[in-house]
Amino acid sequence: MQVRQPINKGARRSAREYVVCRQEDLPPGRMVIAPVGKFGVGVYNVHGILYAINNYCPHMGGPLCSGNVYGTNLWDDVRGRAEHVLDGRIARCPWHAWEIDVATGVSVADARKRTRTYDVRVENGEVVLTR
Amino acid sequence: MSGLLIDAAVQPFCRDGREIYDYMDEVNRDRGFPDVESQWYQAPGGDYDESLYGKGYPGSDPEIASRHLFEDDGVDVAILNPRTRGNLPDFQLNTAVCSASNRWLAHRWLDEGNPHGRFRGTIRVNPEDVPGSVAEIERWGDHPLMVQVGVPLQSRDLYGRPRFYPIWAAAAEAGLPICISTNGGAGLEYPPTPTGHARTYSQYIAFMAYNYVYHLLNILTEPLFKEVPGAVFVFSDGGAEQLTPFIWKLDTLWLGVRDQTPWVDRPPSEYLKDHVRLGFSRLDKPPGDSVPIVDWLAQTGKEDVVMYASNYPFWWRNHPDDLYEGTTKEQTEKVRWRNAGEVYRGVTAEAA
Ligand code: FES
Repeated sequence: MQVRQPINKGARRSAREYVVCRQEDLPPGRMVIAPVGKFGVGVYNVHGILYAINNYCPHMGGPLCSGNVYGTNLWDDVRGRAEHVLDGRIARCPWHAWEIDVATGVSVADARKRTRTYDVRVENGEVVLTR
Repeated sequence: MSGLLIDAAVQPFCRDGREIYDYMDEVNRDRGFPDVESQWYQAPGGDYDESLYGKGYPGSDPEIASRHLFEDDGVDVAILNPRTRGNLPDFQLNTAVCSASNRWLAHRWLDEGNPHGRFRGTIRVNPEDVPGSVAEIERWGDHPLMVQVGVPLQSRDLYGRPRFYPIWAAAAEAGLPICISTNGGAGLEYPPTPTGHARTYSQYIAFMAYNYVYHLLNILTEPLFKEVPGAVFVFSDGGAEQLTPFIWKLDTLWLGVRDQTPWVDRPPSEYLKDHVRLGFSRLDKPPGDSVPIVDWLAQTGKEDVVMYASNYPFWWRNHPDDLYEGTTKEQTEKVRWRNAGEVYRGVTAEAA
């Protein structure tokens, strides 16, 4: 699979865990794709919180994590206007522009559509992904 | 058969070009304006069903129209929507013509010509005059037999644009859907196709109704239903066969670019049942038995939005039996009266 970001050189730690990178290599606003599973897993640092989603779009299987990361616009019924929200949390699929919330794996437009999420944590200065 | 029959599109006419002047206000009574028959594109032998030419224009005598609709065709309630000659360059004159049309309709058709109580009316307004339209809706909104507000399909701007919202809000407030129908040929309007004027009548008539698609796509992507949640739009000239391709595309695109129109918070197709109706005529159906009509109607929810529309007295007018062959009982009922009953107040009272 061709992705824009270089596949990070991490290391398998056990059958269930994978060391993605060192914590300082994944600062806020950055994402790395770990070579885990069939399509890879995108690990995101959104304002200091780590999230991980399958690099597989729930629409037609596009390389979801190789698209850009944005916020999105939602209608605020109380204020009666559009608001820019979830900044830095929305992965936009490069194939047909679906928006996926990296925190939940869920499509913004259609909550029935989702991609798999993974647990990810920092341990001893390393970013550890659980498959 | 399957309960009521509501005819969502009947065009009543004045007996002749002079009749409407009796209903004009004094200031405008001496002004000239185009007659309804001054269309560029003429049907063979005139626009109206040949058998209907009598003393005046076809569709100009409530008694004869009653006989054709209620006795011959078995219609229970007919919704009358007069033509008002499109967007006249003088918008104040245009508003006066709409006012005259409303007085005329209320008098000649909803009162004098309505002993059976089966005619319902349309409050014509001029969208180029927003305050004038709101005033007209306030004037007639309480009339128990006025069941919709009418504007021309040939507008100078798309009807989802915010400048029209006060009109839609006044209609929604009064509990009236807004009917958008062909009404022009004499005023200011754009050519009927994106590449200009049609050359022939068939070219014109085959395409004209599809101009509703531009309004529909716009209505479904502007914040209209956030601002006026009660607005309902009726495209009485039909074009149901274009609904599926366009609503499918709109839904598909919405999934990718939803963030550009965040007020559209569900797939556009999900707005149709609550906010949109289409007149349904035999010209809208798939040819012959090329496609099973049951499936065709079910596709993208067409069966929830189409309403029987005879287009009396135009020459391509429908008879009710033209429409139901091969449909399920439920679909037939939706086409005959249920879909209309959901948007037009008081039209299904006779069902009881
Ligand atoms: S595959 Fe991702 S949007 Fe179509």
